[in-house]
Amino acid sequence: MTSLLHRVKSKMAIFAHRKARGMLDGEYGSVFRGRSLDFDDLRAYVAGDEVRDIDWKATARHGSPLIRRYVAVRRQTVILVTDTGRNMAAVSRSGETKKDIAIMALGVTGYLAHRHGDVVGLVSGDAAATHTIPAKSGEAHLERLLRHVDGHTSLDSAASRLEDQLDHVARTVKGRNLLFVVADEVPASPAMGQVLRRLRAQHEILWLTIRDAELATAGGGQPGAGYFSVADSTVLPPGLASDASVAAAYADAAASRDHARRAMLRQAGVTEGTVDSSQDVITALFTLLERHRRAG
Amino acid sequence: MELMFWWLLPAAALAAGAAAWTARRRRTPDARRRPAAHTERLTMLPEYQAALRRHRRWLAVAATAAASLLVSAAVAAARPVDITTTVPEQRNRDIMLCLDVSGSMSSADAAVVDVFAGLAREFDGERIGLTIFDSTGIQVFPLTDDYEYAQEQLALARDAFEGKPGTSGFLDGTWSGRGSSLIGDGLATCLSGFPRTGAGTAENGTPRSRSVVLATDNYVSGRPVMTLGQAAALAKDRTVRVYALNPGDLDYGSGEDQPGAQLRAAAETTGGAYYPLDSAEAVPGIVAAVEKTETAALKGAPQAVAADQPALPLGVAAVAGLVLCAALWRLRL
Repeated sequence: MTSLLHRVKSKMAIFAHRKARGMLDGEYGSVFRGRSLDFDDLRAYVAGDEVRDIDWKATARHGSPLIRRYVAVRRQTVILVTDTGRNMAAVSRSGETKKDIAIMALGVTGYLAHRHGDVVGLVSGDAAATHTIPAKSGEAHLERLLRHVDGHTSLDSAASRLEDQLDHVARTVKGRNLLFVVADEVPASPAMGQVLRRLRAQHEILWLTIRDAELATAGGGQPGAGYFSVADSTVLPPGLASDASVAAAYADAAASRDHARRAMLRQAGVTEGTVDSSQDVITALFTLLERHRRAG
Repeated sequence: MELMFWWLLPAAALAAGAAAWTARRRRTPDARRRPAAHTERLTMLPEYQAALRRHRRWLAVAATAAASLLVSAAVAAARPVDITTTVPEQRNRDIMLCLDVSGSMSSADAAVVDVFAGLAREFDGERIGLTIFDSTGIQVFPLTDDYEYAQEQLALARDAFEGKPGTSGFLDGTWSGRGSSLIGDGLATCLSGFPRTGAGTAENGTPRSRSVVLATDNYVSGRPVMTLGQAAALAKDRTVRVYALNPGDLDYGSGEDQPGAQLRAAAETTGGAYYPLDSAEAVPGIVAAVEKTETAALKGAPQAVAADQPALPLGVAAVAGLVLCAALWRLRL
């Protein structure tokens, strides 16, 4: 089995060639500030860095923008929160398994944190149980986290219940941390909103939503065999979803559902990003970090 | 209504059961069907539930149609038949009309010929022949089942007997001057018109009944080659029944030598019957009676006749097939 982290790194390498090298690191560093006043060194400015970190004098001397780097006061703790229930074994909007997208997103974030010198922990689980892997540094640890997610998510897992994991974090994690939540299109609920507000008071929260499969399209564009529900294995006959009135009602319902979830997250002060496929993970993360920095 | 191959039904039920059991046991989920989470996004929509109800209704229609198609096809394969018991009327009679054409007989002859012209219209398998005689016998037409021709000839004969102008040639050759009304010779001529294939069996092996309808008054003038008694013996020998019609039964007393009594005796020795006629109008009734006795004599053994009745099950199968097609089209399968 090839290393999951290796896959993440190669994806990031491709991205780094496409966009400015180091841009993600800059975004991450800006978001997860852990600076002290102890100057470390200078490095070249990359897009996404805080403008106020530019050492203008050094820049003037050097001719190109330079950034001051400080020795971190303390190690940040990044807690990856994800769902390893049955839902994540379902397909995403792009047709990939949502688990693979989640692993890619968790890996990229964890690797960025690792490069920044932060420790990464994992809280994952389903309706039956919640597992915690304490925060540590190192690529081997990161690989272990990803393997845990990969190994625990299957169609035979228990049902998904992300509220349990969030509740677990609220009850057990002390101190101010960075929460990176990878979820699917969970419905908005008052209980979830409450636990998110409670968590937001303590932590920084980034929320990445993996888009679920489109169940009905007006043109009947979905392939012939249709879907079955991971919850109870009921079959959704493909002919029904292509019905025009059903598709229209579905589009309305999906829009209002998305709106409700966004409203819940916004109300709780959580920044949300969305991702359709593993190709888009890095772009989506970049957008998410950018949005969080602006908001923050 | 009975089923000829009734054992097909349990066999079909067994086969259907085995097929259903195999399909149930081997049911594997469609590998192309993909897992989806949060399906309540779709399934909780009232529009989807309405569509699902419609879908299920059509599935039920398709299942019902398939089941009734199977059942009706199995029933049709089991051959539903109507079994009726019939006593077949064997229509393998040979009837020779043997008419004395001496002047006194013409009205009775016309009546006999008229009745047989009518009967020939309904004949199916019978053969009919016409021989006329006076002093010489003439075979007008031999035993034939060409009823059209027979009717034509019988019509000609009737016209001749009724004395229509231009028909006198019909009787040519019956008078040779050796006498008149030579009954024994005439009857013998008639008997020679039957094929000589032994007693009562026809050429293809099936027995055919032979009867002669002899219309005469039995007034012989002249010397016949065969007497009536000899001819009757010949008829008996060849198993030909003679039915004698006498329009002029003018016997004095009950002496055995009276012409009517002689004719009666001759007819009855052959197993036939004797009918004295008061008028020509009585002929149809007598011929009907003769017909009836001949028919009754020839009733075969009762037979069970099975008539296939596939219309109902096959009609149901056709309708069920059409409904099934419509349902499958509606389900887009």
